[in-house]
Amino acid sequence: MGRAWAAAVGVCLLLQAGCNSPEAAFHFNAVYAHKQSGVTKSQAKNVKEILIAQFGTPDEPAIPALPDLDVSTVISLDRLKMSAGPVERTDDTAPRRGLYREHCAHCHGVTGDGRGPTARFLNPYPRDYRRGTFKFKSTPVGGRPTHADLKRILVDGIPGTAMPSFKLLAADELESLIQYVKYLAIRGEVERSYILEIDAELEEEDLLLNVPGEDAEQVAEQVEVIQDITSMVLSRWANAAGQATEVPAHPVDDDKIASITRGRELFFGTTANCVKCHGDTALGDGQTTDYDEWTKEIDPTKPHLAAEYVALGAFSPRNIRPRNLRQGVYRGGRRPVDIYWRIKNGIEGTPMPAAPATLGSDDIWHLVDYVRSLPYEALSQARTSGPKFQRERN
Amino acid sequence: MISKRVLFAALLLLCSSLLSSAANVQAAGWGSIKGRFVYDGAPPKAGPIAVNKDREFCGKFNLRDESLVVNPENRGVANVIVYLYLGRRDKPPTPHPSYEKTADAEVMFSNDKCRFSPRVALLRTTQTLKIANADIVGHNTKIDCFSNAPINPIIPAGSDIEQQFSAQERLPTRVSCSIHPWMTGWLVVKNNPYFAVTDENGAFEIKNLPAGKWTLQVWQEKSGYVKEVKKGGKTTKWKKGRFKITVKDGQTENMGDLLVSPKLFKDR
Repeated sequence: MGRAWAAAVGVCLLLQAGCNSPEAAFHFNAVYAHKQSGVTKSQAKNVKEILIAQFGTPDEPAIPALPDLDVSTVISLDRLKMSAGPVERTDDTAPRRGLYREHCAHCHGVTGDGRGPTARFLNPYPRDYRRGTFKFKSTPVGGRPTHADLKRILVDGIPGTAMPSFKLLAADELESLIQYVKYLAIRGEVERSYILEIDAELEEEDLLLNVPGEDAEQVAEQVEVIQDITSMVLSRWANAAGQATEVPAHPVDDDKIASITRGRELFFGTTANCVKCHGDTALGDGQTTDYDEWTKEIDPTKPHLAAEYVALGAFSPRNIRPRNLRQGVYRGGRRPVDIYWRIKNGIEGTPMPAAPATLGSDDIWHLVDYVRSLPYEALSQARTSGPKFQRERN
Repeated sequence: MISKRVLFAALLLLCSSLLSSAANVQAAGWGSIKGRFVYDGAPPKAGPIAVNKDREFCGKFNLRDESLVVNPENRGVANVIVYLYLGRRDKPPTPHPSYEKTADAEVMFSNDKCRFSPRVALLRTTQTLKIANADIVGHNTKIDCFSNAPINPIIPAGSDIEQQFSAQERLPTRVSCSIHPWMTGWLVVKNNPYFAVTDENGAFEIKNLPAGKWTLQVWQEKSGYVKEVKKGGKTTKWKKGRFKITVKDGQTENMGDLLVSPKLFKDR
């Protein structure tokens, strides 16, 4: 009897602990700080505080104020708020909150670091937004994805990965999530830039931002550096819309077979050189020992170093595989234009290079046609039985 | 913890105060600086590279690991990068007239015999990088810039491309080839001509700096910032690889042999 009572009290305590679980917080990018070895504990704490001042917390997001850029033109605080905070769905008519934690955080993590609770069980690992690098987009390498690019990924999902389609969400919910992903990416990029700045410029005892009032002039200078960095990150996102690669019309006059034949020549030729990584049979087995940029950050080729990063929360490194083009599963989308962008611009964050300038748009279209024909091309010539095996009938 | 509000107030300080940077006082005249980096130990033997792509071509060249190149004769360390360090707010000095004719030159960076030649390319923001492929196999040249947009173009056999980098890069940028994973090079992009890379004897020279006080920064791919050197039996710490020098008009400051300890060069 007494024991049951104690157990009941225990359960109550546990339940209460659950209710009072700590406020959600953004994780510090310890892996990147470790790479830039020159960041001290107090500098890391300083960075966290600056980021809270600029970007708020997962429950109460904010956007930074900048003198030369209207940040609300890049990310809308009003819209992204619907995605922030804990999941709230008490009343169907009230504006909902917590969309990101409801739909995304279990894989991408509250911080957008791609380390949610389910992340380590997935292959490929979920995207870590904090580099600002996204693979499937219309802009060239170095450009940020456009609003439409992010929306396409949310609506269509990523075939061949754990990323599902969110087509069933309401339009304003989708919009809010796109804004929130941008917000997390920008916040992560700013954090990385601060870490880099500290490593490159500051002495161990210096902070990125001192307590105001200590030395007003110094603080003013520090604020200017902080704003410069933030501004640089945000302007990349502001410019994205104008950077989408134009896609000239497909040379429709060509007959399809000729186009595929030409594409095949290019695929195996030394100009496009696709065969080197995608392999002689396009099964994606030509170059299987490379890594993506997220993984390269943890020195995957040196196991003893990689272990240090894994201890800080990074996932065990995995090789990146060139796409098996015979499956007909295209992560960045299966429309011809999607494949055109992949070939023309390359895939940022991966070893996939951009097409050389000598390849004109017609040639790229021929490659697109060949790639799209691959799942239907016979891998081998079926053997036809010769007269030897024919049953003799009289 | 600094209160959030105080910090926020600080960030809102839209300070337009003109903070004149008085760091580098330029005197009249020009002077040079030179020196030599010497490995303070037995020269390590560079291991062979496992050529696992295009073996029939790349396998012919007896490729070696070039992340640390020490001259077996005089122990000079090659590919150490020395450059003028400028703070975020410092304006680059007006270059000496002798640099004018190379201001818009082409800097060659070649995929040659399945390695990058040179290993370290020095580029000014006004110059053009010509990335060439002298081999009969295809390469791609992946440059993971930070201030400039990263690039990763295919360079077909026997062709070249021209590329500009309009912003300076704070640190040397890694260059790689995705097809041939052993290929590594480095690109240094600066908005002034005052940088150098050590030759096969470990020697460097930066010519015609404006006379005055300057800070130089030293970096090598395996050590990162070169944080200490030994000269005449005395060890000097260089925080973040930086050291100060005074350039005098008409003189070449010879720093002599600067010994670098083997323990600086480890996997990072």
